[in-house]
Amino acid sequence: MRVVVVYKWARNPTDALVRSDGSIDWRNARMTAGEDDPAALAAAFAIAAGSDGEVLGLTIGDGDASWALARGVERAWSVADAPSLVDNAATAAILAAAVRHLGEVDVVVIGDSRQDAGVPVALAGELGWPALVGLTSATTVDGRLQAARKVGGAAQTVLLPTPAVVGIAAEADVDRAPGMKELLAARKRPLTRLSLAELGVAPDDPESLGCAKPDSTPARVFAGEPAETAAQLVAALRSEGVL
Amino acid sequence: MNTDCWLLVTADGWGGAFRIARALPGRLTAVVIGPRLLAEQVAAAGPDEVRWTDPGPVPAEAWGAALAGAAADAQPGVVLSTTDPAARVLLGAVAGRMHARLVPAAVALAVEDDRLLVRRAAVGGETIETLRCTGPVAVTYGGDDVAAASGAAAPVTPVELAAAPLAVIASEPLAVASGLEDADRVVSFGRGVRARDDVSLVQGLAAALGAELACSMPIADDLGWLDKSRYVGRSGNQISPALYLAVGIGGAPQHMEGVRGARVVAAVNNDPEARIFRTADYGIVGDLYDVVPELTKAVRNLPSKELEQ
Ligand SMILES: Cc1cc2nc3c(=O)[nH]c(=O)nc-3n(C[C@H](O)[C@H](O)[C@H](O)COP(=O)(O)OP(=O)(O)OC[C@H]3O[C@@H](n4cnc5c(N)ncnc54)[C@H](O)[C@@H]3O)c2cc1C
Repeated sequence: MRVVVVYKWARNPTDALVRSDGSIDWRNARMTAGEDDPAALAAAFAIAAGSDGEVLGLTIGDGDASWALARGVERAWSVADAPSLVDNAATAAILAAAVRHLGEVDVVVIGDSRQDAGVPVALAGELGWPALVGLTSATTVDGRLQAARKVGGAAQTVLLPTPAVVGIAAEADVDRAPGMKELLAARKRPLTRLSLAELGVAPDDPESLGCAKPDSTPARVFAGEPAETAAQLVAALRSEGVL
Repeated sequence: MNTDCWLLVTADGWGGAFRIARALPGRLTAVVIGPRLLAEQVAAAGPDEVRWTDPGPVPAEAWGAALAGAAADAQPGVVLSTTDPAARVLLGAVAGRMHARLVPAAVALAVEDDRLLVRRAAVGGETIETLRCTGPVAVTYGGDDVAAASGAAAPVTPVELAAAPLAVIASEPLAVASGLEDADRVVSFGRGVRARDDVSLVQGLAAALGAELACSMPIADDLGWLDKSRYVGRSGNQISPALYLAVGIGGAPQHMEGVRGARVVAAVNNDPEARIFRTADYGIVGDLYDVVPELTKAVRNLPSKELEQ
């Protein structure tokens, strides 16, 4: 199978500062490896290994494209001028155009981000391919793509046709920091830059009318002598009716 | 602005999404791919129409392409789903086919000056952004789940659609810690507890409260102090107790995803800046080694009938 793994395609929300008026300061945050990216990469290798296939890396925006190259991916493509967008379908359209640019592709593997939950599915929709997301892993058995997920108290194995998009939701941090040898090897591996113009996409976002902080009551926090704070908390919980 | 809306439903938890869809003036069509009972429950909430496809043992995602085709014919102005993986795949298929925008984590929809306003949670819900959209828009719902109100029951129309060849080839029940899922109270601890021997301290508090004992992922996964079936979070148990008391837990988003349904969250942490105080209802800033024994004492001093569930 020819597998494309999409990585570093969004900014990390923990890099943003929400000001008191609700506006967002991204503090020049760059696109980073998402928490699901290492698990997506592992799935891409598992799918390729089960089918004598290869894994191609694809990233967008201003993140460090060598992330995947230092983790075993032999070749990667970067749409470096892709902006960070609110519209998940617009981001997906950029990714889809890049996937088409890579020619024959059997599987696209992407981290199933909480923050941008629409990107993996819109990517599948844009390509017109079947998809599963929220997966814990994926692999190839007897030449067929299969994926694992947890649904309704059961661990399921699902068989899907190709081409397909699979969205991996990591269960833990499985990233393994590359060593010096891998970092050096990554520098020699080919990284091809693509532009939005080359791909023929001109993404834009809906008009923003601004941000505001949600109404939420801050925690009532007790501090002081342990015996006193314990009594205060117990009293508060009783008045809530949970004790 | 066309505000006819399709709400895509594949599993429970659609009440909040239904509420924001119903707030639009257009016709609301619920598209249910799931068991008949689910279709009937959605119908009872009062959409204008329910189109129902029974997937049998096949994953609902298999109907993505067929639904996309149906949506291209019907041309709804708004398409909505929960974040449920299957419903999201259907949403993506429809959005791709219709060339719709896709805005994640919408918490409210409104029409103003003939344009659709989408309010969406950004930066993990720390702020709400308002977007003004033209053309078809797909959104995932990102607000709290609410019980669906009942409305004028809509007719359920069975719809036969072609499915892609997806198949479940194996299914095994997951181990669930007995009692945790439907516990009324849960006391949970994290890496603030320094040694395995100290677990008994927290256990004592749980016993006094008549609560089940749970933990954060590293306690079960890395340290093995509790069974893996007892950790809470995205990858572990998602629970909805009346009280969730977190002791020495930092409050990572992946952990808090497991207690979104809890009614009251309380936390004990010695760091006043700990993330958990951002989402908790109550907190004590203090060393758990001092606070937990006092809490246990205070609970034991309550009249005993108060702790009957
Ligand atoms: C993809 C992915 C999925 C994940 N899924 C889950 C999941 O399902 N569930 C989960 O729990 N985690 C999950 N995690 C891990 C999560 O990100 C956190 O690392 C983890 O929850 C931290 O556990 P903790 O709160 O016990 O530890 P820490 O973050 O180390 O927090 C310990 C807390 O104890 C406090 N403390 C220390 N000493 C004391 C004291 N004496 N008295 C009082 N307080 C004290 C500290 O101030 C600190 O806030 C996941 C991570 C990833 C990347």
